[in-house]
Amino acid sequence: MNNKLNIYLFTIPALLVLCIFFIYPISLSLQMSFTDFTGVGIGNDVGLKNYERIFSRSRYLDAITITFAFAFIVVVVQNLIGLFFATALFRLPRIRNFSRAALFTPAMMSFVIVGYVWQFIYSPYSGGLNAMLVSIGLESFQRPWLGDPSTALFAITAAHIWMFVGYSCAIFLAGYANIPTDIQEASRLDGASSWQRFCHIEFPLLAPSITINIVLATIGTLKTFELPFIMTGGGPAGATRTLSLEIMTNLFGRYKFGFASALSIVMLIVIVVVVTLMNKYLRNRENNT
Amino acid sequence: MNKQKIKLIGTAISLLLASNYSYAAAVTLDVTAWKGNEAEPAGFPVLLKKFEQENPDIKIKLSFISRGDTDVVIPPRLQGNNSPDVMMVDMPLVKIWGDAGMLKDLNTKSDWYGDIAPAIKESIAPKGKLYVQPLELVGMGNFINTDLMKKAGIDKTPTTVNELIDSCKKLNDAGISPMLFPSGLSARLFAFANGLSRSPSKPWELGNGTASFVDDPGFNKAFSLTRDLIAANCFDPKIQAALDPWTTTLSEFRGGRVAMVMHGAWNIKSFSETEGLNYTLGPIPTDKATGTALDTFGMGWAISSKTKHAEAARKFLNFFAEDENLAVLLKDESAYSPYIKGTDGVPALAEKYNAARAAGNIVMWPVYMNHWPQAMESESVDGMASFLLDPDMSSKEVLEIWDETVEDSM
Repeated sequence: MNNKLNIYLFTIPALLVLCIFFIYPISLSLQMSFTDFTGVGIGNDVGLKNYERIFSRSRYLDAITITFAFAFIVVVVQNLIGLFFATALFRLPRIRNFSRAALFTPAMMSFVIVGYVWQFIYSPYSGGLNAMLVSIGLESFQRPWLGDPSTALFAITAAHIWMFVGYSCAIFLAGYANIPTDIQEASRLDGASSWQRFCHIEFPLLAPSITINIVLATIGTLKTFELPFIMTGGGPAGATRTLSLEIMTNLFGRYKFGFASALSIVMLIVIVVVVTLMNKYLRNRENNT
Repeated sequence: MNKQKIKLIGTAISLLLASNYSYAAAVTLDVTAWKGNEAEPAGFPVLLKKFEQENPDIKIKLSFISRGDTDVVIPPRLQGNNSPDVMMVDMPLVKIWGDAGMLKDLNTKSDWYGDIAPAIKESIAPKGKLYVQPLELVGMGNFINTDLMKKAGIDKTPTTVNELIDSCKKLNDAGISPMLFPSGLSARLFAFANGLSRSPSKPWELGNGTASFVDDPGFNKAFSLTRDLIAANCFDPKIQAALDPWTTTLSEFRGGRVAMVMHGAWNIKSFSETEGLNYTLGPIPTDKATGTALDTFGMGWAISSKTKHAEAARKFLNFFAEDENLAVLLKDESAYSPYIKGTDGVPALAEKYNAARAAGNIVMWPVYMNHWPQAMESESVDGMASFLLDPDMSSKEVLEIWDETVEDSM
């Protein structure tokens, strides 16, 4: 009985932090989402008007679609590349530490710097990518990468993936470190090829790393704001306007704090639902492997 | 000895009291502004020194806060009753802060209000409440590289759309890139100037929903004229859709790689410092013979409704209302005076722009006059980008969304 009480007592500090810094602000946002608050003065109650606007205007549903598309591309490609690098580095112990640090470097850079550097690379005028295409005889592939709605989102996802692939790789390498060496050795003695070892031993045993990588990348990308803001400002014609960017625009470009709060609540619900379902599925998968 | 001590103590107390009195009489005005730093001094170093010399009982504590940071830094101070005494504002801020009761009514009976230019006089005091003292009007027009124009055999600044199209053709024939037209600014300058100058409705009627963009002949015509520019190969529309108006566009013009760019007069200072760049500033080509001057409300001063130094704040504003003082700021900003007969700070290279203004062909940038909701700023960028990406699309598709944006902001 005493032990149980102690357990509850020890959770109080964490619960307090959670309540003050998370639950209370969220409840304030929820309250504000039913008003027309502009950031100063007093907000008037507008009922469900903000939510009605969100679901009756296509631009907000488009923003949700773009956010999901961005998240899906980044989560899949970033983790595949991260897994590829981790698998290669696991087999190349001599260059592992150096390469891990090198791959991780972009993740330590500021979004602003990364955004501007890639903006210059994609520039239609003397941009590095177009110049490279010319130099290798692929002029026909030149295009305004960030100016074309069909390529703008992919161009930003490429920058995001470049930035965080080392992060995924580092988590997979940690996963590799947890694979018992006796299993690896036994499979080698049984004559399993490198590909067979990857498919039948390493990949299943990397399940916890896969869960962590996918969940972290999903949360990070569903609330992405920085790169689209810096590189395209949400353009061209809204092709890269994510939900977070829409929230920022409404907050500081339009002073619609009430409406932005409603969008934030929608985003919160979307992220919670997606991550909960995803986590449940991945945990089940872990238990079944 | 005792008497001497008493005298000394008495003198010391008197001096202390006197110094305290003078200290109490000195007022420190807390002023925030997004001008006055090294990059954009706006004449502040000279002006603030002069103000303090003329008003020895008032000290100015100027805090530089960029325009972007103003949105984040000032509102919590206003909410928390810790506001600066005087704040630099633009019209969207005046609307938000004024409506929330955070700004002092400067009163339309103020001496300087009577001299405000008619183009902005009524708009800065809607419902009779005057929350802002304007400091400048900034021109937005067509920057022209005169060397490139001469190479193409063009000696006249294009002021009408037909002249602009002719210029594009001649420049193309001479192998010169005629113009950049980024959707983020230039495309909107052209569309707004042509739309508003031809529209039968007042700008605020479009911005408050009593008139609609989609039915407006002026704005439909503006899109059709943009299509004419594309047909004349004035620019490659697809590249302009996401071209950055603040970096690439300006560096291309500065580098002499393009003949024309529609942009703001705030660039005059940096363009003039560019070696080998000979240029002029013309009006936005429209159907008027002189072209159309597209002015925007730049910035102004507002006094916090919670200030404890209202009198000193008013003196500060009155100082900037004096022509000889404001002229220093306007010269640094290459801007126009908001007062009738005020001294402008625009150099001679904007002669054609001035001519359009003198002829009365002035259109005010509607978002920064609060004629249109602030949301139209980003929505119009998207609208122009969509159109440039697909010039065959009906202008109504874009204009319908602009009407929706107005409706959403009401």
